[in-house]
This record gives sequence, C-alpha cells and structure tokens, in this order.
Amino acid sequence: MRWRLIKTEPGALMTEPDEAYAEDLAKSVIVTKLEDLIAWSRANSLWPFNFGLSCCYVEMATALTSRHDMARFGAEVIRASPRQADLIVIAGTVFRKMAPVVQHLYDQLLEPKWVISMGSCANSGGMFDVYSVVQGVDKFLPVDVYVPGCPPRPEALLQGLNLLQDSVAHDRRPLSWLIDGDQVSRVPKPSQRDLRTPERMKATQLAEPTSVGLAPLSADLLRDISAEDRVK
Amino acid sequence: MSEVVEHSVSENSNEQPELVRELAARFGPDCVYQETVDAIPNLWVPKNRLVEVMRHLKEEVSRPFPLLFDVSAIDERLREHRAGQPDSDFTAFYHLISLERNADIRIKVALDDDDLNIPTLTGLWPAANWYEREAFDMFGINFEGHPNLRRILTPPGWEGHPLRKEHPARATEMDPYTLSDEFLDAQQEELRFVPEEWGMSRQAKHTDFMFLNLGPNHPSVHGVFRIALQLDGEIIVDAVPDIGYHHRASEKMAERQSWHTYIPYTDRIDYLGGVMNNLPYVMAVEKLAGIEVPPRAQVIRVMLAEFFRISSHLLFYGTYAQDVGQMSPVFYMFIDRERLLSIIEAITGGRMHPSWFRIGGVCQDLPDGWDTMVRDFVDYLPKRLNHYDKMSLRNGIFKRRSIDIGAYNTAEALDWGVTGPGLRATGCDWDLRKKRPYAGYDQFEFDIPVGSKGDCYDRVLVRVEEMRQSLRIIRQCLDNMPSGPYKASHPQTTPPPRERTMLDIETLIQHFLNVSWGPVIPPGECCVNIEATKGWNSYYLISDGGGMSYRTRIRTPSFPHLQMIPLISRGFMIADLIAIIGSIDFVMADVDR
Repeated sequence: MRWRLIKTEPGALMTEPDEAYAEDLAKSVIVTKLEDLIAWSRANSLWPFNFGLSCCYVEMATALTSRHDMARFGAEVIRASPRQADLIVIAGTVFRKMAPVVQHLYDQLLEPKWVISMGSCANSGGMFDVYSVVQGVDKFLPVDVYVPGCPPRPEALLQGLNLLQDSVAHDRRPLSWLIDGDQVSRVPKPSQRDLRTPERMKATQLAEPTSVGLAPLSADLLRDISAEDRVK
Repeated sequence: MSEVVEHSVSENSNEQPELVRELAARFGPDCVYQETVDAIPNLWVPKNRLVEVMRHLKEEVSRPFPLLFDVSAIDERLREHRAGQPDSDFTAFYHLISLERNADIRIKVALDDDDLNIPTLTGLWPAANWYEREAFDMFGINFEGHPNLRRILTPPGWEGHPLRKEHPARATEMDPYTLSDEFLDAQQEELRFVPEEWGMSRQAKHTDFMFLNLGPNHPSVHGVFRIALQLDGEIIVDAVPDIGYHHRASEKMAERQSWHTYIPYTDRIDYLGGVMNNLPYVMAVEKLAGIEVPPRAQVIRVMLAEFFRISSHLLFYGTYAQDVGQMSPVFYMFIDRERLLSIIEAITGGRMHPSWFRIGGVCQDLPDGWDTMVRDFVDYLPKRLNHYDKMSLRNGIFKRRSIDIGAYNTAEALDWGVTGPGLRATGCDWDLRKKRPYAGYDQFEFDIPVGSKGDCYDRVLVRVEEMRQSLRIIRQCLDNMPSGPYKASHPQTTPPPRERTMLDIETLIQHFLNVSWGPVIPPGECCVNIEATKGWNSYYLISDGGGMSYRTRIRTPSFPHLQMIPLISRGFMIADLIAIIGSIDFVMADVDR
C-alpha cells in the first residue's frame, strides 16, 4: 500500500487516478460470477445442526470448544432446530430405533443440505455389527464426507469439514430451477487415503515410542523442532 | 438332579454363610445353595416363594438388603457346565446389596421354557420396573402383575428376544436395513406417546393437561434420550422416560467376542469413562482365571481410572453449568479436559477409548517422562478448580437453579437403585473404593465427599470434591509408583509377556494361541462391582469353559438413575427438569448399553 498527500488548493483539479488507485481497487472489489459468490458464502457459513448420537458427539463438541475452535471455519453456529441448519454431522452409532428419527430430522433440514458421517459406526456400523445397529448411515441418507475413526479426533472432524467446504465451494448449483433446471454438478470426491498414501509412505523415521512428547512424526516434519522442545 | 441333592442346603450346611442357612431354614428344603468365584452366596428359590423371600430380605431380616442392585436372566439352554444347579431353561437372577452387612446375595429362580412366568417385584422395589421390562424384552420372561410390561430397549415392533441364544446377533445375518416411506411412517407412529398407555388422564377437574415430547434428539437431554411430560401449564405433573435409542447390544456382543477382544467394547459402555470401564471387566476375568495382578499394574490402573473420573466429572461440570445458563464454564473445562487427554494420549495412544487394560495387567509400561506430565497436571488443576468455585459454584443463578431442585433422600435413592455421587449427595458415604477396596484402593489416602440434601447442588458439590480427591490419589500414584512388571506372569495373561515368547516352542505356541484364539477361561460365574464415574458398574460374567463368555451381564449405574426422573421432577418446571437431567450425569450408552 502506498500513501500520498493531495494538495487541496481552491479550484485545483483532483489529480488523475494513478496506479495507487488501481491497487486500492484490486483490494476492495472482486469481480466474480454470482454462482461463485453464492458457493463461496455457502461454504464459509455452514450451520451445523446440534445433533449427536453417541461417543463421537463428545469429540464433535470438543471441536467446537476453544482448543480446536470450529468457528475458524465459519461453522460454529450450531442450531437446535433442523429448520435453521444446513449441515448434519451424524456423530455416532445409528441405531435401528433411532434411524426413523434421523431421517425425519434430515428431511427437515434446509436445502441445500449436507451430511458428514462421523466415526466408524456412522460410516459402516464399525465394530457394532449387531442386530440393533444400522450398518452405516448411508443405508438411508446421502453422505458427503466420511470421517474415519472411533471416535475421530476433533482435528479429523475439522479436516472433514474443510473437505466439505471445498466441495461446497466448487459444486455448481443452479441459481433457480427456472434458469438451469435442478441439475447439480458435483466435483469428484477422491479417496483421501489414495491421495495421501505416497506422502505418508515417506514417513520412515518415527519418534521414539517410549517417551512422551509430540506424536510420532517423520523427520521431515520435525526438522524445525529441536530435540529439547520435543521432549518437554 | 443327583448333583443338586449333593449341594442342597440341608447336607453341607457348615460351608454356607449364616444368612443362607437362615433362609433355608425358613423357606424350606427347595432352596439350593450355589457357590461362585466372587464369593457372593447364590440361593435358588422356587418361583412361588420368590416374593416372600425378597420381602423377607428387604423388610424382615435383621440388617436388611434395601438395594435391588440388578435383575436379569440367563438363557441356560446351551450351557454345559451347570454342576450343582437345578434344572433350568432360563434363570432369572436378583442381586441384592445390604449396606449394613456390607454383603451381597444373589437370588436365582429356575424357569421352564414352556412356562416363562414369574411374579413381579415392582410392589417391593420401584427400581424393579425397568429391570423386569428389560428382562422381558431381552428374554421374553413374563413378569406377572407388572404394571406396564412392554419393550424397553428394542423398538416396539421388534420380533424375538435378542439375548435368547436363537436370536441373530449380527446385523449382517439379518436382512439389510432399508427405510421406506411406509416403514418410516409406521415407525414414527409406533413412537407416538399415548398417555392412556401409561395410566395418565388428559384432563383434571380444572385443567387440560398438555403433553410435551422432549427428545430423543434435544440439546438438553445429553444424548438420545426421550422423556414425555404431562404438564399443567409449565408445571410437570408426571413424566415418562423412554430409552432404548442407544441400545448397542453390548451384552450380546460379549457372547461372540473372545475374552480379550471384548475389552474395546467395554470402553464404549460409559463412553466418558474410558479405561474405567475396562477395570471391572478385566478384574472379573482375572478372578475367574485366578490371575494375580502385579502391584505396578494395579497402581497404573488406579491412576488412569482416576484420570478418567476427573475427565468425566469435568465434562459434567461444564455441561451442567451450561444447562443452568452459564455459557463460559464449558470452554474452561474442556481446555482442562484436553490437557488431561493429552496425558492419556501420551500414555495409552488413545483419547476417549484407549482399551488399555489387559487381562492380567495393562497394555504397555508407562513411557519415559510420564511423571513430569502427570505432576504438571496435578499442580495445575487445583487452581483451576478453585477458580471454578468462584465462577460456578458461588454464582447466584447457578445456586438458585440447583439448590432444593430434584432432591431425594437416602432411602429413596436405595429404593430406586441410585449409586455413586447421586447416593453420596444424600449423605450416605458408600463409596466402593473405601467400603470394598479393589485394585489396591486400600493403599491410598483419600476422603469420601458427601452431601446432605440430595439436591442438584449437592450432586455437583460431591463431584467437584471428588475431582480433588482423585487428584490426591493420582499424586500418591505418582510419588509411589512401584517398579516391577506391568503384566502378570500367569499363563492366561493376554497377550502374554513378550519376553516369554521366544524362549521355547511351548511358550511360543501359548503366545500364539492366546493372541489368535484368546484365552480359555475356566467355567464359573463371577461378578465384580466398582465405583465408576457415574455410580456402581458391575460385570457379571459366566464362563462355560470356552474362549468366549456364555453370558455377560453389565449392570450400569445410569439405567436406574433415569428411571427415577419422574419421582424427583414432579411439581417442578421444565427448566428445572433440565437441571435435574444434567445433575444426574448420565450418558445413554451407560443406560442402554
């Protein structure tokens, strides 16, 4: 940013806008398409429904509190009513007795709406292959992001949220059924495991497992952290 | 039946506890005494004398048994090792506890498959209501005279009784789940609350009652719990708690997991209790197998269990403050909880469900540097707790919303099966860690905080003070951590100590079998009861001499606590109900299992 002073002599003309004006303009004006703008604002103002089923909900609540602070991603306004929310995190085991209730709540969410399946139970039934548990919430709901773990760490949920935001920002939805009909074009959602495996395979040197400190990380990631800092 | 005669009461009476002899003398020779590993006397009584026996134990006997601790059943039809027990297809059992005697007794009743009827005990203990409904739901036993015998854990239209051996265990054995519109409507209709079914009228002389459905998804009910309220204006006239939305079939699961691979399932019973759940389970298996746990493992177990007590109470503290209108405390307490979980993570590698205890010890030794982390935490938390006293406990609104709300006395607590902080808030000092020290708790100095009024505020006070006591215990663990092995050298220890595996082919085979098939536990019955985060949690294990449990009964504290809600919320406002629910401190997995 450059600053300058303008002489204000009576009757003098204002100077012509120079490159400083252009710079100001570039910082305060965005030229974009309406659908991009809407997608961007949707992605950064998801309103999750205050909904939890079991253990995972505790980690979801942890993601909302100060250490992890989901507010950083514009998704902290949890709503007690499905009619004010557009994101449901299926946090926990989906029970047969509960499934109709989950469906009923999902139906009441505002369109467009998204589903994050959090934890092994919601993903696939997980370790609970038993008579009272539905083997994955995707048996009856469309799922946008699966977050693995039992329960997933709060960071994992935040990553899931980021992935969802990415896809919300890049999915193309018609502005109205009058303009483009009701076709939604979705971006592909590749398996994160496939994407990340090569990078993870590089981690060959792990920290000593017998001492406390930071979680074991590869030497590459640890190179900025001195040994004293690590074992604190 | 010859074995039965051998063990019948009149023949070997000198080995039997005095109480059993007394009961046998009074209720006749049909009573059969059975010994179990846990040293709890088992008495089989004929079903037509059940109510008499139970009334005698509750009201007439000297130093009576006021607490109906547990009721459930056993499907005996496939069980092989039943020496000394009367013929039975289904066995209903009743676990009673006497505080004055500091003793337990288990009454068993043999039932024939063709005649699964048994008199109800709801006239003696209000707590029997839900337990009998559960036994009906799980086994199809009909409790004659029960006021409202209907399913409690499975959905209303469920077919079959899940804990019967012929019922499928796996979801993948059943048809894949689909949710058609018709099925959805039918299911929703089944869940409709009909006041008449619960003996409620819709009108009184001057008022039309309103019925409010709270849950199963509501931010204030702490999980998938539903409660139907009968309201006169905003005053609660009556309430019907409805559970079963969180039934994960943990007891059925135990019948197909090996003794070792069931440990992770216990973590998820009281999912805020972490390894605290492992403790009663592994202790029960160890008792059945006769394993002595080395001192270092005991102290590590105690330390981690107390960490989880603090973690659970911190979460309770924050969410309760939020329930009564304080927005900030939960953020403070979750920060402390994160600090605590970082220690858990450094030691166990897990956060909420470490599954870290093993049959015969713990998973690994403590890592280098654990003591610094623990010391930092025990130095740090007391200051924070003092701060919270000012922020929450002494806050005027917090007090007005808690004091004299949802009070009950000790007698009511026992009648309804209330244990843990909810019992101690009434002034009763029963803490199993003191009264029946297990896992080496007798080696520690700590106090048992008690309340006086038994209201919401006292329940909070007791838990807050318990955190300080837990810190005391942890500090003692820190200062006096014994050296030595973290696992027993017993052959049933699973997995066996690594150093033993490479000695010779025998130890290698043993290691291989214990890890791949799991240990084979000798036949027997054993119940271990501990002071868990929310109350008394017991595992009653029955081994039929196999690699898996024949029957696992998990008695959780929250189940009876929820049953009591109507009693303590009548006459209060809806907002008070939220405080009451918060003060009970339950998680639904601890209710429905």
